Amino acid sequence: MTAVQLSGAGRRRGWRFRGRAWREAVSFYGFIAPWLIGFVLLSVVPLVFGLGISLTNYDGLNLDSVRFLGLQNYARALHDAEALFGISRTAVFTALYVPLALTFALFLAGLLNQDVRGRGAFRTLFYLPYVIPIGAAAWVWRLVADGNYGLLNALLHLLRPGTAVQWLANYATQVLVVFVVWTSVGGAMVILLAGLQGIPKELREAALIDGATPLRTFFAITVPLLTPVLFFQLVMNLIGALQTMVAPMLLIPQPMGFNVLPPQDNRLYMTFVYFEIFTKARFGYGTALLWILFLLVLALTLVVFATSRFWVHYEVE
Amino acid sequence: MGVGGLGALGVGLAACAQPTPTAAPQAEPTKASAATQVPPTAKPAAGGTVVFMHQRNEWSEDQEKQFMAANPAIKVEFIQFDATRFMAMNAAGNPPDLFRLQGPEVPDYLARKILKNLQPFFDISTVLKADDLAPSNNYYKWDGKTIGKGDLYGMCKDWSPDFTLFANKKAFAEANVPVPADDKPLTYQEIAQLASKLTKKEGDRTLRWGFGYHGDWIDRTMMNMLAETGKSLFADDFSRLAISDNPEAVKVARYWFDLAKANVVANPLNPSPQWAGDDFTKGLLGVVQYGYWFSAMAESDVTKDNVVMLPAPTWAGVRRDPTMTATGMAMTAKAKNPEAAWVLFEWYNGGQPAIDRAKSGWGVPALKSQYKLMPAETPFQKQCQKVLQGELQYASDALQFNPFIKADVVITAWNKYLEQALRGKMTFEEMLKSVEKETNDAIKEGISRLG
Amino acid sequence: MQRSITRRLRQSTVYFFLLVAAVAFLTPVAWLLVTSLKKEVEYISWPVRFLPAVPQWANYRLAVTMGNFARYATNSAILSTAYTSLVVISSALAGFGFARHHAPGRDALFMMVLAMLMVPGMVTVIPQFMLFAQLHLTNTYWPWVLWGLSGSPFHIFLFRQFFSAIPKELEDAAEVDGCGRFRIFWQIFLPNSGPALAASAILAFNWVWGDYIYPKMFLTGANTTLAVQLVSAYADPKGNPLVTVTMAAVVLYTLPLVVLFFVAQKHIIQGIVTTGLK
Repeated sequence: MTAVQLSGAGRRRGWRFRGRAWREAVSFYGFIAPWLIGFVLLSVVPLVFGLGISLTNYDGLNLDSVRFLGLQNYARALHDAEALFGISRTAVFTALYVPLALTFALFLAGLLNQDVRGRGAFRTLFYLPYVIPIGAAAWVWRLVADGNYGLLNALLHLLRPGTAVQWLANYATQVLVVFVVWTSVGGAMVILLAGLQGIPKELREAALIDGATPLRTFFAITVPLLTPVLFFQLVMNLIGALQTMVAPMLLIPQPMGFNVLPPQDNRLYMTFVYFEIFTKARFGYGTALLWILFLLVLALTLVVFATSRFWVHYEVE
Repeated sequence: MGVGGLGALGVGLAACAQPTPTAAPQAEPTKASAATQVPPTAKPAAGGTVVFMHQRNEWSEDQEKQFMAANPAIKVEFIQFDATRFMAMNAAGNPPDLFRLQGPEVPDYLARKILKNLQPFFDISTVLKADDLAPSNNYYKWDGKTIGKGDLYGMCKDWSPDFTLFANKKAFAEANVPVPADDKPLTYQEIAQLASKLTKKEGDRTLRWGFGYHGDWIDRTMMNMLAETGKSLFADDFSRLAISDNPEAVKVARYWFDLAKANVVANPLNPSPQWAGDDFTKGLLGVVQYGYWFSAMAESDVTKDNVVMLPAPTWAGVRRDPTMTATGMAMTAKAKNPEAAWVLFEWYNGGQPAIDRAKSGWGVPALKSQYKLMPAETPFQKQCQKVLQGELQYASDALQFNPFIKADVVITAWNKYLEQALRGKMTFEEMLKSVEKETNDAIKEGISRLG
Repeated sequence: MQRSITRRLRQSTVYFFLLVAAVAFLTPVAWLLVTSLKKEVEYISWPVRFLPAVPQWANYRLAVTMGNFARYATNSAILSTAYTSLVVISSALAGFGFARHHAPGRDALFMMVLAMLMVPGMVTVIPQFMLFAQLHLTNTYWPWVLWGLSGSPFHIFLFRQFFSAIPKELEDAAEVDGCGRFRIFWQIFLPNSGPALAASAILAFNWVWGDYIYPKMFLTGANTTLAVQLVSAYADPKGNPLVTVTMAAVVLYTLPLVVLFFVAQKHIIQGIVTTGLK
């Protein structure tokens, strides 16, 4: 261990280490280059512009009468009772939707991963609501759930004559949750199914041979290995739920005539913002509201990411 | 970026704005002294691309081909109307040349200087003549202060006196109520009574609502009712919504509130499955309030031979029956190709498309000379024409919409608070106050924007 | 013997379960199908009638002719295929980058990817329009090509998760053999990602086929997609929608997606090649 040897070894190891890290970094940037370039060229400018709009009183039409307001829009949002109400309704919706959607999708995926005859057909059947355009899907739901002429109440009428429950007007959020789960479970199922394929069969079979029940195998072996994909689905569901805008509007009981806004319980945050922008012409304010939502979603997602360390199992960190 | 960027954008837009013809304060048809303006020349000079933002079901591909064949120098670029896209195009400095709009939107657009004064074009047009224009076009006239007088900023494509009624004779028979005569108007109070008699229920289920109307437009109906007594929903300068301090307005609002509370009309707590027109054709409504255009679809398999059109009701004894939509088109102030756009405008509103529209029975033509083209063959059509002729004389007064807010602000607030009031979460008075507050906030912003 | 009986029993229970769930789940879909065969006055009535009096097959004919279905379906197909083929590849590349590299800035950049998912679309719709208008790319399909080339945050996130779950041994083995990163990606990860690729392709195709907002903003009457056309094509001269014909059009519109899925879902059955490692 002479000085020469030491320094020589150090130099060689150092050079190799720098080289390896360097090559990995180059490779990394190479792989993400298409995304990065596209992001800079196509996304950054509109984003900054969108941020700029939120600092003005832009009304959606005239750029000549635009005035700079600084952070006034943001301050205003904090006192806006309707905005706060929207957040509370969105929180309720999200809290109901996410667990339900995730569980149901996992259940379906697990079931349809079994060796059941005709599982391809079943998968397609459960996938169907996902591909029906949401406008048409909501339209059908409105008909089926209609208070006076809907199929649902007609069936209830057989049990108790004269029943005419106003599902869409009085149970608005419940119907919304079930509806959104119904339309989205197909997509989630596809992803979870794909994820399930990544779990080596041998592991499961080994457990079964050891005497574990299929259910136990599922929870002890399959689910832990599925966590990366489950995590993906959880985050996507969360983001999607917080941004829900269209479904409440499509489920307005009588959209073409009477109720321009959804029933009070369904005035989710983004729905509220939509009306601020398009009915009240408050484009600047609406954009600020959207950025606030962005911050909330970001915060929540970071929290979820932070917890992922404890329950998501990656092969490579 | 931020301010500087937006400022630069604003300047850029102003720079490429076309010189808009200044609106002459008095708009007599002979005042063609628009010498400084873009001279609307005869057809041969017009060419280029016209960006036309409209709806496909009102501008078919066949019509597009026909037009381009007759005007080879002009190319029509059609874009399906979409509010966001319209905004975006305006923001990008590239608004369409012609676009579809409705009468109630005109004051708002005028205040924002989006519309081009078309009077110079009208003055020399041989197809669209001033004295031939139906009263619905008053919605597009502005003298700088009031709607209804002055220069034309657009034109209506077809219209109806919108406050007429259609009755389902079978509903009346089932309820043992005689069908009203079609030669004199009912009062709104009589309609309320009819509504409760015609409503049919079975347990909790409503099988028929006595009265139906377009829930998105009752603020306009209220305006029409108030106009009978010379009052308005707004203060004189449109600076605020004035209901709670105006006894007549409170009475009108109360009328509609009570109908909803009594459940004889569809309301947020007992909605009908589709819009009122669709409900009527399925036999779910006793009486519906829609304009002449509804006659084209009122007779369905279910209601055939059972529909009768009735004149518009009155609130205070004064007969008024203008249109409340006046759907039409206008040219944007920043249009890149006004001359060519005018050729299309003229053809759409006076040429073959207008003739076809008149014959279809889906509306009263915008040109009086085309009135005779409306269908009058079947007994029902004839009956509708008879009632219509009686209404036309009362159709001239345009409703005055607020220039500081968009057309939907009041009705959105109304429906929002109506739901809460019906659920018992607020009283009727509180509901009115809430509607006022929300509307007035929007008005204040609109005023400050125009600064 | 015992095991096979319990196995048969288990299979039958699963089957029964699935059948009941499917029927309940698909009632609205069934309602959509029967509505498409009804007359306009029939689809709301009391007492409620499930089946039409006489099936109106004419609705389907109208759906095709009234809306120039073929042309818009072709537009949708072209756009969807172009976007899907591009976005799957570019997202897989980026996903691999994020999943299997250590590099400075990786986590921050990944957060940016996710942040794009969290920005509500409405914030950027009008600015994006202005950007593309400046580039004279509105009324063309170029925005989709560009979006496809640059990958989608959703798909990048998806691939990143999938690639993170692939056993390290596969990678190590290849590295020992002297493979460069790209070869590892191309020859090891991709072939073992059939399920992820299929899932991604299905979802991407669906997104473009079903998207309404962006075609409405960026395309014109002639080259727009079926999704936009569907909403406004089937109406009476006043503009009131013809509900039953629209439902028929919706059925036709959904059919390609269903067929695509049925065919592609078979590929979501491939396992990871683990032979020769343990």
